[in-house]
Amino acid sequence: MCEVAIVGVGCVGFRPITLELSYKELMFEAAVKAYEDAGGIDPRKDVDVFVTCAEDYLEGFSIFDEFVPDQLGAALRHLFTVSGDGMLGLATAYMLIKTGHFDTVVVEAHSKASDILTYMDIVNFGLDPIFNRPLGGHPYYIAGLEMNRYLHDTCTTEEQCAQVVVKNKKNAIANPYAAYGADVTLDQVLCSKTLFHPLKKLEISTPADGCIVMVLASEKVAEKLTDKPVWVKGVGWCTETPSLETRDWTRAIYTRLAAEMAYKTAGIANPWRDIDFAEIHDMFAYKELQHMEALKLCDYGEAGKLTEEGLTALEGEFPVNASGGLLGMGFGLEASGLQKVLEVVLQLRGEAGSRQIEDVEAGLAHTWRGIPTATGAVAVLSNVK
Amino acid sequence: MSLEKITNPFDARHWIGHMEAEYRYTLGIAGERFFKEIKENERIMGVKCPKCEVVFVPPRLYCEKCFAKLEEWVDVGKRGEVYTYTIATIDIDGKRLEKPQIYALIKFDGACGGLIHRIGETEKVYIGMKVEAVFKPPSERKASINDIAYFKPAE
Repeated sequence: MCEVAIVGVGCVGFRPITLELSYKELMFEAAVKAYEDAGGIDPRKDVDVFVTCAEDYLEGFSIFDEFVPDQLGAALRHLFTVSGDGMLGLATAYMLIKTGHFDTVVVEAHSKASDILTYMDIVNFGLDPIFNRPLGGHPYYIAGLEMNRYLHDTCTTEEQCAQVVVKNKKNAIANPYAAYGADVTLDQVLCSKTLFHPLKKLEISTPADGCIVMVLASEKVAEKLTDKPVWVKGVGWCTETPSLETRDWTRAIYTRLAAEMAYKTAGIANPWRDIDFAEIHDMFAYKELQHMEALKLCDYGEAGKLTEEGLTALEGEFPVNASGGLLGMGFGLEASGLQKVLEVVLQLRGEAGSRQIEDVEAGLAHTWRGIPTATGAVAVLSNVK
Repeated sequence: MSLEKITNPFDARHWIGHMEAEYRYTLGIAGERFFKEIKENERIMGVKCPKCEVVFVPPRLYCEKCFAKLEEWVDVGKRGEVYTYTIATIDIDGKRLEKPQIYALIKFDGACGGLIHRIGETEKVYIGMKVEAVFKPPSERKASINDIAYFKPAE
C-alpha cells in the first residue's frame, strides 16, 4: 500500500475572540493557506475528498455538516463530516488514501468557541441524563474527581501538575498560533483558585478560536506537491465506556489502546527512544502527565517526576507540547487534535521558529475529546519515508 | 482572503441564536428496575455478569467486558467507600458557591463501578472514607438519582 503524507497545512488563530470573521470565513482563510502551502492546489479540481470535523452543539446548528462545503471549495464535491475531533478526520483521510481510490484528501476542524455563549451547558449536556446530569453543578467537577484519584494512585504531586502549566504557557510565548502564552511561576499556578479540588484555575485550558486545514496526499502526488512531505506512519483511536462509574479513572486506557494501534502500524517499539517529541492533550494539566503514561512514554506514575526534572521542557530530552499545548495555545474544541498535528508538522519541517527542536525525525500527536469523554486518538508522523 | 477587514469592534455585528432542545429520556429496562428499588425499597442494585462474575453499578442489560446479557440482580447495600472526591467551589456559570459542594464516586463492596453523588453532613472527606446513602422521604422521591439526597459519613 502507498505511503500517505501531509503536504499542506493552514492555520488561522488561535485567539480568545474573533469578532471580525464568521466561522465560514475562518475556515476559508485556513483553507486558502493550506492549499497555497500544498503547492497551490485548486480545491475545485485537485482534491478528491473533503473531511470536516464538527459537533453540532458546538456550532449552534442542527446538521452543521450541510454548512461546510462552500468555504473549502467543496460544493458539489465529495465531502462528509466526522462528528468528532480533527484527528479522527485525519485518520479517515489516511484510510481513504490507503484504499488506493483517492490521492488527495483535505481535512478541516475549527473552533469558534467565542460564539458559544453557554459552553458549560453544552458540556453538561454530554453527561448521562439519568445517572449524572440530575446532580447538577459545573461539569468540570469530573476532572477534579479524576485528578484526585490520579494523584492518589500515582503519588504524582500538585507541584508536578503545576509544572506542566509553567512549561506549556512558557512554550506558547514563542508560538504565533498560541493565544495564552505567559511567563507564570509555579507559585502563581499553585496559588490560583482551587476550583475543583485539587484542580486549580490555571491548570484548566481556556477555549480559543481558530481553524486548521490540512491536505493529505498519496506518495505519488505528495512528492510532486512539496519537497517537505510529512509522512503519516501510523494512526490509532479508541473509546472507553461512557459510564463514568465503571471506567478506569487513572490510566487513560483509551489513549493506551489508541497508541498501541498507531505504534503497531508505525513500527514503534519504544516510544521514548523511537520518537523525538510529542504533542499531548493537556486540556487539564494533570491530563498531560496521565496521557504521557498511557502513551508508554514512561512508566505509570513517572510522568510527574520527568516533568519536574525538566526532561519534557523544550530544551529537555523529550519535549512535550513545544507548541504550548492547549494550556498555552487555547483549547480548540474539535480542532484540538489538528492543533497537535500542526505543531508536529511544523517541527518536522523545521519551521517552528524559535521553538524549533533540533534534529527531529519523528513526532507524536495525541488528542482526547475532553470532559466527559473517554475517546482518544494518536498519530505518529515522520519526515523520513 | 479578503483585502478589507473590520478594524472597529463596534462594526462587528452579530445575531443571537437560541437552541430550543428538550428531551424526554426513558430509563429503559435496567433503569426502571434500579430506580424503582431506590424509590420503593431504598435498595441500591447492581447486575451480575454470568460469565465475568462482575457486578455492575449502575446496572445495565449488557456486559461491557464480554457483551453477555445481564439478568441477575444483586443488592450491593447502602454503604460504600469514597473512591475519589472533589470539592467544587463554583457553579456551572462560574459563580462562587457560598458553600462548596463535595462530589464523590462511591464504590460498593464487590461491585464494579458505583455512583457519583454529593457528600453531605460533613466538610471532611477522604479517599477510602466509608459513606452511607441518605434517602429523601418517600413522598419526595421521583425515581431519580436525586431520590438519594446525598451520602453521609458512615463511621
